[in-house]
Amino acid sequence: MTLGDGVKAAALLFVAAITQVSIFSEIHVFGAVPDVLLVTLVAFALLRGSVAGAVGGFFAGLLVDTASLGTLGLTSLVLTLAGYWIGRYGETTGRDRAHAPFLSVAVVTVLYQFGLLVVHFVLGENAPAGAVVRSLVPAIVLNLILTAPLYALVRRLLRPTEPQELSAEVQLLG
Amino acid sequence: MLVFVALALITIAFRSPTSGPLHTVQGAGSTALRPFQIAATRVAQPFRDGYDYVSGLSSAKSQLKHEKALYLQVRNEAIANKAAAANAQQLERQLRFVQGTRFPQDFTAVNTAVISPPGGAFAHSLAIAAGAANGVRIDSPVVSGDALVGIVTNVYPHSAKVTLLTDPNSFAAAVDLRSRVHGMVHTGPSGTLILDQVPKTQKVRKNDVLVTTGTHNARYPDLYPYGIQIGRVTSVGATDTAVYLQVQVQPFANLGSLSSVSVLVPKKPR
Repeated sequence: MTLGDGVKAAALLFVAAITQVSIFSEIHVFGAVPDVLLVTLVAFALLRGSVAGAVGGFFAGLLVDTASLGTLGLTSLVLTLAGYWIGRYGETTGRDRAHAPFLSVAVVTVLYQFGLLVVHFVLGENAPAGAVVRSLVPAIVLNLILTAPLYALVRRLLRPTEPQELSAEVQLLG
Repeated sequence: MLVFVALALITIAFRSPTSGPLHTVQGAGSTALRPFQIAATRVAQPFRDGYDYVSGLSSAKSQLKHEKALYLQVRNEAIANKAAAANAQQLERQLRFVQGTRFPQDFTAVNTAVISPPGGAFAHSLAIAAGAANGVRIDSPVVSGDALVGIVTNVYPHSAKVTLLTDPNSFAAAVDLRSRVHGMVHTGPSGTLILDQVPKTQKVRKNDVLVTTGTHNARYPDLYPYGIQIGRVTSVGATDTAVYLQVQVQPFANLGSLSSVSVLVPKKPR
């Protein structure tokens, strides 16, 4: 990843985090909130791999926790893991597949919600499992609606990398 | 590595949530991010206004009919209340009655913008653009209009965190204005607000208005002064097995979409 790419990615995730905290967190549809930041992170991780995904997730989470005055590190932890796993998927089986962004967003929406639930529960904070389960389907639908335009935007800003640039450990055969 | 850093941050933040170097850094970060948040909110404002305009038009007719009926009822109540209040003031003076802080006379309102609304199932708090520099302190009550929103639980120099009434750890002592029945308002198992600890022998009716009770015991002062409106009773039920009435409450404040709030700072320190 070049310096220019890094700056563009940082700006992209910064804007996504700020709009998420200031604007999108106010939009409630059947108990769910559209997550622009998560979808942007998924698109970024798919295009740039696991390490970049994890770093992007960490800093995006830090921005969210700072801006919303939440427990520092909580969102970072979950988004770091989400960014890493989706990046790994992008490096391996998800590479060059048209359905990869949609599948990733659907899966990571579920894992992200349950990840937050577990962390909140472990910390002894409010962990409403019922509310999370009820809002899961609307959350997936909302995030899937955002996927196509956001993935196109991120892909336009960040040039897709060559397969060998993504990971030195995984080689596809055939 | 990043996971360990995140875990370390959580540990430090969790051990000292209201003070310490990390708290200071978070406060400074929040102050630095605030202009961007305000800019984002301003960019979104025309769209929000447009949506409110369209949704307002669609329900305007039925709303008008309802409001007209409500206006007549409220006007009659206001006249009766004015007379009762004048009488009560006179009696208080004659008795040299001593009481706790009163709302709104004994408070200064710090009006401020909401810079981070609550989002998702986990968040029952919001961030506001006023902090210690504006006189905001921990445990300051927060209202929207005259309706209770919550309480300040963390203060930074130029921002503060408000925990909403809907947070499962929030409790507010409340009194029914009509029947003078006391209880505790908090979030029930289904996620809605309830008036709890009301014995089945007491009478609470649908549409009764609940306000904060205020201090009864000088040794354990209530965080909220007497008279802040909380909400209206939407349903009352009782089961054979339950000890208390099941009273559901609709809060007056629209806690899901607040763009500004008022922090009540006591004129005299507690």
